[in-house]
Amino acid sequence: MDKETRDMLLETAGRFFTERCDRAVVNNVEKGEWPADLWKEIEEMGLPLIAVPEDKGGVGGTLADMLALLRLAGEHAVPVPLAETALANLLIAAAGGEPKPGPATLALGNLKLSGGRLTGKILRVPFAGVAERFVCVVDKTLVVVGKGAAKVEATPSHAGEPYGSVTFDNATAEFSGASAVSAERAFELAAVMRAMQMAGAADRVLATAVEYSKQRVQFGKPISTFQAIQHMLAELASCVAATIASAEAASRDADEGGLADGGAFSIAAAKSQCSDFAHRISAIAHQSMGAMGFTHEHVLHHYTRRLWVWRRDFGSESFWGEKIGAAYAKAGPDALWPSLSASRYPA
Amino acid sequence: MSIPKLEFPPFHLPPEAEALRLEVRAFLKEAVPRIKTEDRFASWNTPSPEFSRELGKKGWIGITWPKQYGGSEKSFLERYVVTEELLGNGAPAGAHWVADRQSGPLLLRFGSQEQRDAILPRITAGECFFSIGMSEPDSGSDLASVRTRAEPVPGGFRVNGTKVWTSGAHRNHYCITLVRTSGQHGDRHKGLSQLLVDLKTPGVTIRPIINLAGRHDWNEVTFTDAFIPESCLIGNEGDGWLQVTSELAFERSGPERFMQNFYVLRELVRVLGRNPSGRAAAILGRLIARLWTLRQMSVAVAGMMQGGKSPAIEAALVKDLGTIYQQDLPEIARVISESDATTEDDMADFLDIAQYATMMAPSYTIQGGTTQVLRGIVARGLGLR
Repeated sequence: MDKETRDMLLETAGRFFTERCDRAVVNNVEKGEWPADLWKEIEEMGLPLIAVPEDKGGVGGTLADMLALLRLAGEHAVPVPLAETALANLLIAAAGGEPKPGPATLALGNLKLSGGRLTGKILRVPFAGVAERFVCVVDKTLVVVGKGAAKVEATPSHAGEPYGSVTFDNATAEFSGASAVSAERAFELAAVMRAMQMAGAADRVLATAVEYSKQRVQFGKPISTFQAIQHMLAELASCVAATIASAEAASRDADEGGLADGGAFSIAAAKSQCSDFAHRISAIAHQSMGAMGFTHEHVLHHYTRRLWVWRRDFGSESFWGEKIGAAYAKAGPDALWPSLSASRYPA
Repeated sequence: MSIPKLEFPPFHLPPEAEALRLEVRAFLKEAVPRIKTEDRFASWNTPSPEFSRELGKKGWIGITWPKQYGGSEKSFLERYVVTEELLGNGAPAGAHWVADRQSGPLLLRFGSQEQRDAILPRITAGECFFSIGMSEPDSGSDLASVRTRAEPVPGGFRVNGTKVWTSGAHRNHYCITLVRTSGQHGDRHKGLSQLLVDLKTPGVTIRPIINLAGRHDWNEVTFTDAFIPESCLIGNEGDGWLQVTSELAFERSGPERFMQNFYVLRELVRVLGRNPSGRAAAILGRLIARLWTLRQMSVAVAGMMQGGKSPAIEAALVKDLGTIYQQDLPEIARVISESDATTEDDMADFLDIAQYATMMAPSYTIQGGTTQVLRGIVARGLGLR
């Protein structure tokens, strides 16, 4: 979509998230309440179909459009699988399938496909507890399994979202088709998706801490006037800026380079960087907000807890770091600068 | 929320800049091993007049400047690429660095026609080198408190005072010196001016200040009734603060703020070998990801500057993150090399490299604006002060 259309969509979505994803909605998800109305409205807006072509009933946006929307969703801690469903629908459409309504999620990892039936177990599948279907990529086949054909064991994330372990035991596929992306690539796309959500959440953490510092009065003045606090928040801003910059660069490279393999290195580097800084971002924000920010009452934890969960999802800094480090070590020192400056893995 | 959004819009260096990169890279591959320096790992503060002359011949100093001064009238982005290739390939680019980065642009912007004609062609030829005369014994981060006084006398100024931490003054030709030309010490930003000082001027004394690594890079430059002709005033009398602030923006935003010790990362790749343990690979990969991120941020800032914006806060953020990365790098590399070097000899050699890098590391977060000064700038940008 053109820039004007995207900006309009983001503005509408931003207003909608502000109004409808308030503290109570996010907290209720943690108590196990599925916000059916919120999901329905999100579907009515077409958001889960943002990157599905128009001839398949979608909005016709690009991968970059989808990722921009998900950054915004991260900024609002949207407690439903909008990200997972949007990427799942993109992959289903790219494999020749028709996306269906209802929340979906990605079950990516070591699975076996034999005679059209799926077997294996994936841990920590986001929103497994509420997903209508699971999207998997095995070798070059995209497989969609309905929730009735999978066994889900609830293991809620530390942000209170209904994550779970999913077991497929000779499960029948609801749909299967030739995948437009490899299993490894599906994982990469999920990683850049999370990186953008982290960018959104990080941005909100900074805004929350800065606002708080201007309102909180101690020793007769707002704590924002204390140099100790100013310097903490400036450091926080630097970590948030790096998170945003790396996620945005990876998002651009993934989009421009094409669905099949664009921006592979940038995604790895960005998810490593975003995951790495989640600790400093959360630590500084909490320190600056004192006991208030540590309460369940305050919304800060909606974002810091998600950062702590999301840094593990779809590859932590250790996972992506090892992948980058192994490739660069294998190529040797002479390949370091030419590869890094081209945002590529060494040839 | 009312705080300004921190955005680093992803930016592509244009094709002509990428084409130039390959040309520069090919030249450096040939030139760097040929030119002898005292540094095993050269960087942007390793001086080699020989190298600078060769680079000048290629037209890569003052690359953005008008052709009448020997420039190539290329974009700021092409300059960016030359800069990062010099850093990425360990070129001894220290002799001309300051002149190319900030002194020349300052003269282009504020200097008289006579000053430009006399100086700029020599800079672009790689034959004229500059020092920065800002700090004083009592004026570091608080630059507006400078005491060096330039008293108007017939035909010029009589200068008295002392500048310190003046890198390369013992080798360089000129020093752009911030002085008080009118008013009192307490007037702060008012009454300051910049003078183009020939370092051979009688009454200018240069003494070494040796740093903790035993190197002579810094100097103390003392002015004792030194006569500086009126023609050496840069811009208007009293505009020194404005000029110096614009100069600092050039000084903060470049890739030298995160690639000064790139050789440590390069040597770490070497010492870990082609097939490192998973743990070593992960640590290496995370360092590479951090450097990649800094580069994306820095390129985005370059893009904003090319687009006519003045991203002062963004530049401060890059320098803050970049210099801290440079301090972390030798520490992280040292620890992992002790457990994961391929051979004992390689490890011993690498530990010496890391040790040297560690000794240099404290300077990164001090020069060109301390971490605390930068955080003050960012805090102002966040609306906290």
